[in-house]
Amino acid sequence: MTFLFATFRKDIARWRQDVVAILIWIGIPFMIGGLITLMMDRDGDDGPMGVLLIADLDDTLLSGAVTAAFGREEMAELIGVQPVSAEKGGELIEAGEASGFLTIPAGFQDAFLNNTAATLTLKTNPSQTILPGIIEDIAEVLLDAGFYLQVTFGPEIAKIRDGGPLDRPSDLFVSDLAVQINDKMQKLGPQLTQPLLGVEIVAPPPAEPRPDIALLFLPGIVLMALMFAAQGLSADYWKERESGTLRRLVSTPGLPGLFVFGKALAAALLMAIIGGATLFVGFLYHDIVWSKFLPSMVWIVVSGVGLFGWFAALQMLLPNMRAADLFTTILVFPLLMMGGSFFPLEVLPDWLSAIGRWSPNGYVVSQLTDELTSVSPWTFDLRNWCTVAAMAVSGLAVCSWRLQTGFASK
Amino acid sequence: MLSVENLTKQYGDLAAVDDIGFAAGQGKIFGLLGPNGAGKSTTINCISGLLPPTSGTISIAGFDIVRNGRKAKASLGVVPQELALYEDLPALENLYYWGKAYGLRGADLESRVRDVLGYIGLADRARDLPKTFSGGMKRRLNFGCGIVHKPKVLLLDEPTVGVDPQSRQRLFEMVEAERDAGACVLYTTHYMEEAERLCDSLAIIDHGKLIAEGTVAELKAQLGARDVLQLNGEFSSGLGAAVVARGIGDLEVLSENDNSLTLTMTAASQYLPAIFESISGAGGVVRETNLRSPNLETLFLLLTGKELRE
Repeated sequence: MTFLFATFRKDIARWRQDVVAILIWIGIPFMIGGLITLMMDRDGDDGPMGVLLIADLDDTLLSGAVTAAFGREEMAELIGVQPVSAEKGGELIEAGEASGFLTIPAGFQDAFLNNTAATLTLKTNPSQTILPGIIEDIAEVLLDAGFYLQVTFGPEIAKIRDGGPLDRPSDLFVSDLAVQINDKMQKLGPQLTQPLLGVEIVAPPPAEPRPDIALLFLPGIVLMALMFAAQGLSADYWKERESGTLRRLVSTPGLPGLFVFGKALAAALLMAIIGGATLFVGFLYHDIVWSKFLPSMVWIVVSGVGLFGWFAALQMLLPNMRAADLFTTILVFPLLMMGGSFFPLEVLPDWLSAIGRWSPNGYVVSQLTDELTSVSPWTFDLRNWCTVAAMAVSGLAVCSWRLQTGFASK
Repeated sequence: MLSVENLTKQYGDLAAVDDIGFAAGQGKIFGLLGPNGAGKSTTINCISGLLPPTSGTISIAGFDIVRNGRKAKASLGVVPQELALYEDLPALENLYYWGKAYGLRGADLESRVRDVLGYIGLADRARDLPKTFSGGMKRRLNFGCGIVHKPKVLLLDEPTVGVDPQSRQRLFEMVEAERDAGACVLYTTHYMEEAERLCDSLAIIDHGKLIAEGTVAELKAQLGARDVLQLNGEFSSGLGAAVVARGIGDLEVLSENDNSLTLTMTAASQYLPAIFESISGAGGVVRETNLRSPNLETLFLLLTGKELRE
């Protein structure tokens, strides 16, 4: 056992000389996690917002009502109205800095009251597609409303027109007009307010609560850190071989199995640091229940050693250091892709997700996702633990076998 | 202490080591000499347990390396030809680690590491990383890692290759000190002068076969007083036989080809004019002459017909 712990201490002391590698292994998932978080936050905004420039050359009560119509209630969530002069509006829309530019001509109110033609000019931004369309639709709805007002309340509008200045109406005039409009509304009321068809809205049953999409990225990011670390740590067997220390090892009474296990223990500690740091930040950010931290940590450390064992075994089965490094590096990326590190397994196509869950890292990601999104901690069952333990033991056994069958020779 | 019997290591049809045997005792340095590729390192690798022998037995301090590997290895120290160090681990930690690999513990390990550090002259650099050391310092640390557990049998595989004269001298002293402390040292080299200086007895190996064995004095006696005369120039086929036919002393041809002719005879310097004349008469042209008195190199030449360092 002394030799086992001596090997563990030796490797830790050596890795302390290579802090940069460890920082990179921690840094990669943090960087990717940060980018994903930024993307998620942007997606969480109120969505894109258009700018409608309005040059009100009429500057009357009615033109003001039209301007205000664009900035009311839900409309205000989509379109920000910016009053401008005709020149400034022209410049801005030409520069593509707005979704649309509406010009209300002088005499617009008089034309409406006199039931004569007036032209509202709307220029839209051709580089945008959705928002200018919405502005056009709203403008058309407003024009339709004006038409129906003319049809329905023609006499009342004529009375307003003939009744003197709109900014100083007499009380008698206003009350008379109000009574007429009220009478008309009473008559039209049943047609306007009673629906001809009864519509019953049936709400769908409440769906299962879906976890936050950003949270689904966390297991994959943790595994990405572990995969890079496992691949990097496994290359140490070739470094030891090149430095001649494996040859010396084989000539000592120290057991190769203990040597392999000691290296695996050192890898486990590094996995705990690297994976643990990533997991800790993830728990903080997603406000995950802390009772799930310990099982998640144990899971990623055991799984990390399993990945390390198999990367090391693959490295030791290949004929030279360059081939070993190249092969394992190439292997990492498709495994990350399929195993839910670039995109969560839940959003991958079903067939790819199914394959991914059978990959070693995908299996670990899948179980970790279940743990992090479950109601209670310790969702891992005996089969899960046996699977990752078997992965670790078999990988390390291959390493030990290779050490005794010629790998140490140079 | 170290016994090798009928050792053979086969790679397919190639026998890297072919049925060799020798024995080395306590407090002795046994030299294994031969040119590069002769099979020295393969022999060392089999003895150290790195390669399984195809056949034959190797016994270290009474334990068979194949059947009782751990006990045999516990008595064995190895100083490989190439450095075998953790360059990213301080010198002190290297010694501690290899001491533990050999089973040393606690105070024994502590005191032995301190002793070795002083012995190899690195006490003041104990906490430095070997990657900051000179080549000679690394060699000394490499040696220290092989003797940290006071092995009964020490294997030294060409330990002076690429070492500066000062460090080489220091290594010689350390090897002699191990012998004086009672270790059995197996020393491989292709430098005859090293073997002549250090080895109590030695074996010469070529093409995997052991071609001579004995003390340095015994091997030199095989040569008698015969000198080796090596000539370079232009020599036609059969020229050597023609020169021998002239009946000059006890002249014999060791080897010949179009550009070189190697002869051996007693007191060759006295017969040089007659030899040159007979060569000239047979149509040969001598451009360079090298006359060597008997030593291990000339013995190797005599036994194999080729230079040790070819």
